[in-house]
Amino acid sequence: MENFFSILFSLSLFYVAITFRVKAYVSVLRFQGILLALLLILPFIFKFSIYAIILPLTIVLIKVILIPNYINKIILDLDIKRKIDPTIQQLTFLIIVIASVIIIFLLTSIISNNIELNVIPFASGFSAIVVGIYLIIFRKKLIIHVCGFLILENGIFLISTAIASELPMMIELGILLDVFVVVFLMGIALNRISDTFEGFEVSHLRRLKD
Amino acid sequence: MLEGIISLIIVIFISPLFAGMINKYKAIFTGRIGAPVFQPYYELIRLIKKETINASSSSFVSKIAPIIIFLSMIFVSSIIPVGFLKPLISFNGDIILFAYILGLARFLQILSAMDIGSSFEGMGAAREATFALFAEPIFFFSIGSIAFISGHTSMYEIFNSILLNNIGYEIFIIVCSISVFILAITECSRMPVDDPNTHLELTMIHEVMILDNSGFDLFLYQFSSYIKLTIYALIEISFFYPFGKQNHFLGILIFIVGFLTLSITLALVETITSRYKMKLIPQYLLFATSIGILNLLIYTFMK
Repeated sequence: MENFFSILFSLSLFYVAITFRVKAYVSVLRFQGILLALLLILPFIFKFSIYAIILPLTIVLIKVILIPNYINKIILDLDIKRKIDPTIQQLTFLIIVIASVIIIFLLTSIISNNIELNVIPFASGFSAIVVGIYLIIFRKKLIIHVCGFLILENGIFLISTAIASELPMMIELGILLDVFVVVFLMGIALNRISDTFEGFEVSHLRRLKD
Repeated sequence: MLEGIISLIIVIFISPLFAGMINKYKAIFTGRIGAPVFQPYYELIRLIKKETINASSSSFVSKIAPIIIFLSMIFVSSIIPVGFLKPLISFNGDIILFAYILGLARFLQILSAMDIGSSFEGMGAAREATFALFAEPIFFFSIGSIAFISGHTSMYEIFNSILLNNIGYEIFIIVCSISVFILAITECSRMPVDDPNTHLELTMIHEVMILDNSGFDLFLYQFSSYIKLTIYALIEISFFYPFGKQNHFLGILIFIVGFLTLSITLALVETITSRYKMKLIPQYLLFATSIGILNLLIYTFMK
């Protein structure tokens, strides 16, 4: 069942690689949040405890409700256009993503010879990290950079569940809080940038000087 | 033998009904009453009564192409399993035959479109060839990985030998049905790739290739496109057969429910999406291919 959710997670990465709309990124973030929460609930489905339910609930609150709504609010407030601006063709980007996913799966299977881990959740998380980095490299819009960072974060989360099924809860909660604060700060920074410049693209920032 | 003939007859006679159901649901979703479900049958009967007129510039290719296309569709539909009936033709490796008979039909379709000499049809033929190129890997990746799971290479054996305790099979159903659905949309020229109802030559793919045909030839072309749609629908439904293996009644139920669900899904997709730009279609197909590759990766590492 873990494999099932991880595969859906990888499918969402492929979707991210070809979609043209900013809104689609936000819905992918929501979808991934739901998947992560389900993944965390799964081991505790027959032995219910109050501690098991805290972390999934927090994920649903932060990753499914708060952050996507906040990004949507930024999009509405700053009147960001709905099409993303890729720096390379979408087709090339998709091919790069496919190649990386294949390499990552191969690498993971080599790693799993020596270390005990779940191959498919680990590889999906690893691919999410790489795709997040690619999104930050190959997109012009700053709001997409935020989404790429969040996808990367989701990937790290998935990897942590693949290696150890129960991380200490306080650490996970601390990471979630960090992510939320970072997104919040990025929103404020975007607002500031929009006051100074016309658009929200990286190309404007290139001209900054002392 | 008898089972095979029965399943062949089912496929041939149910295929216009499937197209009619999609059109009916599409009309309902957009708030119209729509043509009756049996409208495709009436249109086929109307076409068969009419006289065939070929373009004066066309050669013998236009005469033989419709018949060969129709016969190859019948041949392909005798490979596909309907429920648990053993199909007429079934041997090891028939999935490859399946793909290439469809390829033969497509080749003749392109050739006959070029044969007439109209520039519009040449354009449609070029598009069909390009998109078929991107659509071929989807089939081999998704059906190929299913074949790997089951360890058989015959369409009937594949879906009859998969055990449900095979841990990865539920994942494969989801992943494969997405990619086969996209494949069906492309091959049958449905909405996000091609609009079957438009009549503007510049935007058509499949319809533009049969623009100059009439009468009996057009009947054969229409009928084979209905059969093709049904064949892909049957592949999609076949993924769910292993759930009803204990009980043949359940198998029939899966067939009927799958048929209804698939027609509603196709109608829904056609209602909520608009046709993509031509340059975006390779991207859409590559997406499906990447799902197929993911499929193969899962198979390789799920041990």
